[in-house]
Amino acid sequence: MTTAPQRDEEGFAPIRDYAAIGDGRTVALVGLDGAIDWLCLPHLHSPSVFAALLDPERGGRFTLAPAVPFEAERRYVPGTNVLETTFRTAKGVVRVTDALSLPDPSLGALREVARRVEGLAGAVPLAWRVEPRFGYGANGARLARRDGVAVAAAGRDAVAVSAWEAGEPELGADAVSGGFEARDGDRALLLLGAAHQEPLVFSGRDAAEARLDGTIASWRRWTETREYDGPWKDDVLRSGLALKLLVYAPSGAIAAAPTTSLPETIGGERNWDYRFAWIRDSVFTLEALTDLGCSAEATAFFWWLLHASQLTHPRIQVLYGLDGSPEAEERELPLAGYRGSQPVRIGNGAADQRQLDIYGDLFQTVFLYVERGFELDSDTGGRLAQIADHLCDIWREPDRGLWEVRSEPVHFTQSKMMCFVALDRVCRLAERGLVDDGRARWAPQARAVQEFVETRCWNEEKGCYTRAAGSDELDASLLLGSLLEYCRPDSPRMLGTIEAIRRELGKGPLLLRYSGEDGLHGEEGAFLACSFWLVEALARAGRLDEAAETMEELLGHANDVGLYAEELETSTGEFLGNFPQGLTHLGLVSAAAAFERAEAAA
Amino acid sequence: MNVAGALVGGVVGTLVLTSGLRAASELGLTRIDLPFLLGTALTQNRVRAKAVGYALHFAFGLLFALAYWVVFRVLDESGWLLGAALGLLHGVFAATALVNVLLPLVHPRMANPLTAAGRSPLLEPPGFLMLNYGRATPAVTLAGHVAYGAVVGGFVSLAS
Repeated sequence: MTTAPQRDEEGFAPIRDYAAIGDGRTVALVGLDGAIDWLCLPHLHSPSVFAALLDPERGGRFTLAPAVPFEAERRYVPGTNVLETTFRTAKGVVRVTDALSLPDPSLGALREVARRVEGLAGAVPLAWRVEPRFGYGANGARLARRDGVAVAAAGRDAVAVSAWEAGEPELGADAVSGGFEARDGDRALLLLGAAHQEPLVFSGRDAAEARLDGTIASWRRWTETREYDGPWKDDVLRSGLALKLLVYAPSGAIAAAPTTSLPETIGGERNWDYRFAWIRDSVFTLEALTDLGCSAEATAFFWWLLHASQLTHPRIQVLYGLDGSPEAEERELPLAGYRGSQPVRIGNGAADQRQLDIYGDLFQTVFLYVERGFELDSDTGGRLAQIADHLCDIWREPDRGLWEVRSEPVHFTQSKMMCFVALDRVCRLAERGLVDDGRARWAPQARAVQEFVETRCWNEEKGCYTRAAGSDELDASLLLGSLLEYCRPDSPRMLGTIEAIRRELGKGPLLLRYSGEDGLHGEEGAFLACSFWLVEALARAGRLDEAAETMEELLGHANDVGLYAEELETSTGEFLGNFPQGLTHLGLVSAAAAFERAEAAA
Repeated sequence: MNVAGALVGGVVGTLVLTSGLRAASELGLTRIDLPFLLGTALTQNRVRAKAVGYALHFAFGLLFALAYWVVFRVLDESGWLLGAALGLLHGVFAATALVNVLLPLVHPRMANPLTAAGRSPLLEPPGFLMLNYGRATPAVTLAGHVAYGAVVGGFVSLAS
């Protein structure tokens, strides 16, 4: 569908209008109007060079679009994370192919954004402009021409802008720009090469074109070797590709999202940095990776998880850096924020919170890893036993829960359910001789947690589990009790909880996260991952028709290239929160795979 | 005046120099990466280039230490102070002639006024005083070479 791209007066585009490209090290967001508004270099978790997404004035961007009014349509080149945008104007049609080139053995820039322009009809005037603003807009770049190539440098970082058949790059005070006309059959190339703590490499056109073609071929090969053949295959594979963008190749960690501070409420304070890997996502990550047949990625992720958690052993931290670091100090940046949503944060203070559910996620992940045929060594078994002992000491404490509330800690039901999952799974691992045997300590504690949940977290009047012990509020994360097998998915108590969640938190297929306080101001949208959890809970309970219907409705909420943010504003359909959101795509893959299994078992 | 002292000093001095440059790079003072610059003269493979470059840099470190040793012999004097003075000269030579003028002439993959990034990739040239790699690059390079010279001079003196 062809659309005229929209930006508001301040230059912000709807989050829905972005698509993501990446190379396994970093991710760029490309607007429907051809502007790259977000790119961190050299890594996903490094400071940005383009951050117009959060501040069109100061953030920096790389625009490329017709210089006359246009409409745009786009898609990913099938089976790839390479974006193809077609601009239609009164003067003709032109296609732009955008990619972060995958590294190859030849000498190229450390990171490379390639933008190929092809004239398809008529003669379209195009303009482009690169405004590099290193360090989240804080570091002004020094612009110069080095032997014919435009270069912008600041401290450890530098970018080179090369243009072939795309006009002569002109150096302004703080930008490199150019313009050209693309006639039918013309082919131009713009290249942004980046260096970090090293001299730049100025690539030749042939090599850059070959890398772009190689990138397309490489993504296609990856997609062709995926094993999923269940329902909603195209959507699942697109989610797989989106997740692959979030996998930080050097370590195998998976980022929750490639952005920071896209707001959960426009103009609000719920703005967080998601460029970390959450332990919480581990079960879904491992499940999705193995469901898609990504054994290499699954193994890398699993061992990253165990190595990262070793740094805080026996305590597990809520999140770790993509390089495994436990450091995540939160601070605020002097950027305007998406549509005025302040503050813009980097780092994540949730790292220091106590969240008991992550122990369940860890042990369920280990259990799943073993169930799916991977091996565990005895040293790891010993360490896991120590973590289980640590959990026995702390499960009675209140916590902040998986939603990372900033209000006072309470006894969240879902956290306690996951403590049971942790202790139950570690007992089962010990039964198989994979973990040092501590069942005499763990089994009574598991029963005690279960009793706590069943007596103090069950509301007889409402017929459902509640958000916290003694509360009458609801929480969509209780659906995870079914998904992560706290109880049977068709148990009367879980079925009652599903109904209560749909009744009190639902807006059609969409679900709010919870009712009640969280210590922050403002309302938020529907949390998309919860909706996919609902699909999975329904499928696991054998209610396949309802699950399929809900899934179909949810698929209609993806943007034009099949990506989801964290949340959806229910009245306008606008995306909210960081984008693209790993947990949402993990939920989609998991729901589809669970549906397939339930259908086969029915 | 023992040549072994010069060789040990060469290894330790190069270690100090490369570590110092790397630290300056981490601090955002410069983008110079000598192993990368040297290694890419021999291979296009980025990873291999850094490994080869480190080996080459240490080899050059030994050669320069021998040259220092010859100077010490001629002057019949050594010590960390004299070494540091030689290091200063060495640094000035490196920043002006060696990396700025000579390296682009012999490096097959470095841009110069006569080349253009056409078919093969080219490295960003260092420019006068290697300023293209950051404004603090000359100071960092000089400091690194002074430290190298002081270490070589010191080891030669100790081994005498």
